[in-house]
Amino acid sequence: MNWLTRLMRHERLEAQLDAELRDHFERLVLDYVRDGLSEPDARRRARLEFGGLDQVKEVCRDARGTRWFEEFTQDVRYGWRGLMRNRSFAIVAILTLALGVGANTAVFGVINALLLRPLPVPDPTGLISLQRRVGTQAGGNFSYPQVLELSKQGDLFKLLCGFGRDQVTVGPAGAMEPAVVAWVSGHYYDTLGLSPQAGRLLIPADDEPGASPSAVLSDAYWTRRFGRNPGVIGESIQIEGVPVPIVGVSPAGFTGANVGEAVDLTLAIQSRLVVRPDQPFYTGPGARWLRILARPQPDLPQDQLQARAIVVWRQLMEASIRPTTLPEDRRRLMSEELDVLPGRTGTSLVRAEFRFPLQIAMGFVIVVLLIACVNVANLLLARGATRQREIAVRLSIGAGRARIVRQLLTESTLIAVGGMAAGLVVAWIGSRALLTLMAAGRGLEGAGALALNLTPDWMMVAVTILMVGGTTLIFGVAPAWRASRVQPGAAMSASGRVAESHGRLGSSLVIAQVALSLVLVIGAGLFARTLYNLRALDRGFDVTDVLVVGTSAQRAGFTGPKLAAFNSQLLTFIEQVPGVRAASVAAITPLAGGGITQAIAVNGVRTGEGEMHFNSVGPRYFDAMRTPIVAGRDFARGDGPAGPYVAIVNEAFVRQYMTGPPLGQRVSVLGSAREMQVVGVVKDTAYETLREAPPTVYSAHQQRLAAATFVVHAPGATAAVASAIRAEVQSRLGGRLPRISTLTDQLEGSLVLERLLARATLMFGALALALAAVGLYGLTSYWVTSRTREIGVRVALGARTACVLRLVLGDALRMVAFGVAAGLVSAWGLSRLIESMIFGLSATDITTVAFAVIVLVFTGLLAGLIPARRATRIDPHLALRNE
Amino acid sequence: MVIAQKSDLPQGTLDLLILNVVALGPMHGYAIAQRLRQVSREVVNVTQGTLYPALHRLENRGFLAADWKQSDTGRDAKFYKLTAKGRTHMASEAESWRRLAQAVGAILKTSEGVG
Repeated sequence: MNWLTRLMRHERLEAQLDAELRDHFERLVLDYVRDGLSEPDARRRARLEFGGLDQVKEVCRDARGTRWFEEFTQDVRYGWRGLMRNRSFAIVAILTLALGVGANTAVFGVINALLLRPLPVPDPTGLISLQRRVGTQAGGNFSYPQVLELSKQGDLFKLLCGFGRDQVTVGPAGAMEPAVVAWVSGHYYDTLGLSPQAGRLLIPADDEPGASPSAVLSDAYWTRRFGRNPGVIGESIQIEGVPVPIVGVSPAGFTGANVGEAVDLTLAIQSRLVVRPDQPFYTGPGARWLRILARPQPDLPQDQLQARAIVVWRQLMEASIRPTTLPEDRRRLMSEELDVLPGRTGTSLVRAEFRFPLQIAMGFVIVVLLIACVNVANLLLARGATRQREIAVRLSIGAGRARIVRQLLTESTLIAVGGMAAGLVVAWIGSRALLTLMAAGRGLEGAGALALNLTPDWMMVAVTILMVGGTTLIFGVAPAWRASRVQPGAAMSASGRVAESHGRLGSSLVIAQVALSLVLVIGAGLFARTLYNLRALDRGFDVTDVLVVGTSAQRAGFTGPKLAAFNSQLLTFIEQVPGVRAASVAAITPLAGGGITQAIAVNGVRTGEGEMHFNSVGPRYFDAMRTPIVAGRDFARGDGPAGPYVAIVNEAFVRQYMTGPPLGQRVSVLGSAREMQVVGVVKDTAYETLREAPPTVYSAHQQRLAAATFVVHAPGATAAVASAIRAEVQSRLGGRLPRISTLTDQLEGSLVLERLLARATLMFGALALALAAVGLYGLTSYWVTSRTREIGVRVALGARTACVLRLVLGDALRMVAFGVAAGLVSAWGLSRLIESMIFGLSATDITTVAFAVIVLVFTGLLAGLIPARRATRIDPHLALRNE
Repeated sequence: MVIAQKSDLPQGTLDLLILNVVALGPMHGYAIAQRLRQVSREVVNVTQGTLYPALHRLENRGFLAADWKQSDTGRDAKFYKLTAKGRTHMASEAESWRRLAQAVGAILKTSEGVG
């Protein structure tokens, strides 16, 4: 019989042991009777000789070697029965923990996936990431020639690759759909150390000049689009209308070296010249769009690698400077440094973006967990106090103190395990909700939305178990220790003194809860008001009912005059669609997540160090955006290539860089001979972000042909107008669909972080507040219960209802007051941490703080009122008799 | 009458004695105790507190197997019998016991000669 069976058969083994020993005893008696003793004498003698039956049994159980487990199962059963007897306690405790643990696991799950999880490649720790840095501005990307130069540094890097991400259209005319492509240099897969799942991966020959394009599918794309059919290898897919053979499938689980931005297809950078011939500059020195991962030479120490990388980089920069390079640019180029960083987790654009909000969210949920633990500890304390009689009985019949502590800890472990199980459900829902919040409005619908691997890994499991273990210790040990420190006699007679001491510990815990939740409520208020301020901000344009339409005319092969004709015909069409009030084109639409900055000269003189934000817009653009023209005129149809060059500037530009009346002054892009005359001044508008309205120069779109995005103001008819435009563009571009969104989408898209912070902190703040209220309620009602007699006496002596209310509520409010005071000090200390994320108010904003204090006091009143009302209904006769 | 308690028996001896007794045939606990006392002429008298833990230990280690059978008293009794593993163990234990006894005897004889 093995160890496990012995455990399973515990009940039967006990019965057998009993039968065996009884048999022995009876035989002994029989023998004595046979020796001539009377039956009673024989029994007495046998019992004497036998000794304590229970002791014999104990030794036998020890011989079985499963005693600890038997005691453990006994504890579990006992604890379970105890919890079942007091179900509401168990449910409140488990739910409280589930929310605390679940919120933490959810946020940590996203942090883990985005920031901590290593790339699914062999030896990820052997990877390094290279980044350009100018001063403190780190994280710069590289141009393709720079990647090629760096990959030649064989004495530093064994393997090195560059990669960038882009959206393309895939499929034949009429059935095109967007797909995300990674453009990679030749050694991409070598550097990562991956092997194909089917076919082959890209090799350096694919990235030689003139090589014909080949595409590698990701596992997810292979599944989604081709149903994992191995036959597609060797076939061609149409990428931007160009047939490209599929050569292989990358391994499952690998979604690209850009964490958070899963790619569907991977192609060599040289293929870009064939697939996107409209953008040849991407392979030139001007476009810095690639990130670099590398494997250093194995015998090279880290510090030497960094030192030599700096030298190599300086040489590269020096070689890239041409005689025509302006002195400012020369200085800027030479001030660049190259950082060698760990590349274990790959690279990610979204990582830098979300790191801070996620850290804040993590801080919030840790506090929520602390509050939850305090709550459960308080519940256990109160429970321990009411169970002192029971514990005293067990102590006086000889149970060891350690055994009692263990028993009580088993109970809290049961609660913890229940909380963890329920918490995992909360976490599963929560992490997906968090991801949706992060992905919303990123302007990458469907393919290319934020994709993170949230499957739990050992890290997640370890953190969850640590969290649950830690919380069990925090909320279980102190109450258990305290509860077991009972003087049996004292507890049996009067419980008053014990209750008093519980009250002191309990109230300091509640004060801590109030303080912590005040900090969270203040934080949530600040983030919510930041979001509100940004949304309500007048940034010089009106987002309602404005469609933003991007065509793929350039990708479809329209260039030069043909493109201009296409754009003008489409604009004419749009203007005639019923419901359109005003329509125009622009190179850049506000809050779209990009822009052009250039150095500008005013009247031939460079305007200091700053760079101007630049846009190129058509006539009626300001009308469609409802941006007021403050002075001068709008662009007109007559501002064509033949006419004099004109510009419109905003008020910020006038304020900062112009003296005298702006109209008639001349502005030009630095280094260009084409001067533009200022013909109008418009109100300041937000450009890349809502947070600022920078100095901006607008040129006439017909005079400076650039990318064209259509803006259409169609009050109340956006849906109908959008479908009309969609049909028109599709028929003109051989099946290519336009990208149509609204300016409201763009606004919301630019507020992803703010919305994430506001929603997450509001939710966690409300959670903290609710938990604190539960804590306060629990303690106050405990207080009322344990002082029923005292209150009864007071009422008997003539205390009025108001007096009793004051007595109970006064106690609750005193705790709230202490908590608020402690919370204000902590919030003030932490305010600097979040200063950079808030807008339109200070981190110590008095209104927000006052509001948070009011919310807390009100919550405290509410939580105290229910037990207080119960106290007023205490019947003095009953209260005194019950004692 | 000298009564040998567990503490008087050298370590592991009780196990060896039990195995030897049970080797004669299936036997319940009371009979094993009786037999030990008779064969040792009342020298070895094991109490229940010593006997049953030993029996359970030997059973757990696989040297003994147990069967519940109806006995002469009409009650079900637990009968222990020697397993093949127990037999091997017993043989090797007995051998080392004999060797130890011989060695001890030889040493005692030498010291008697000197004395």
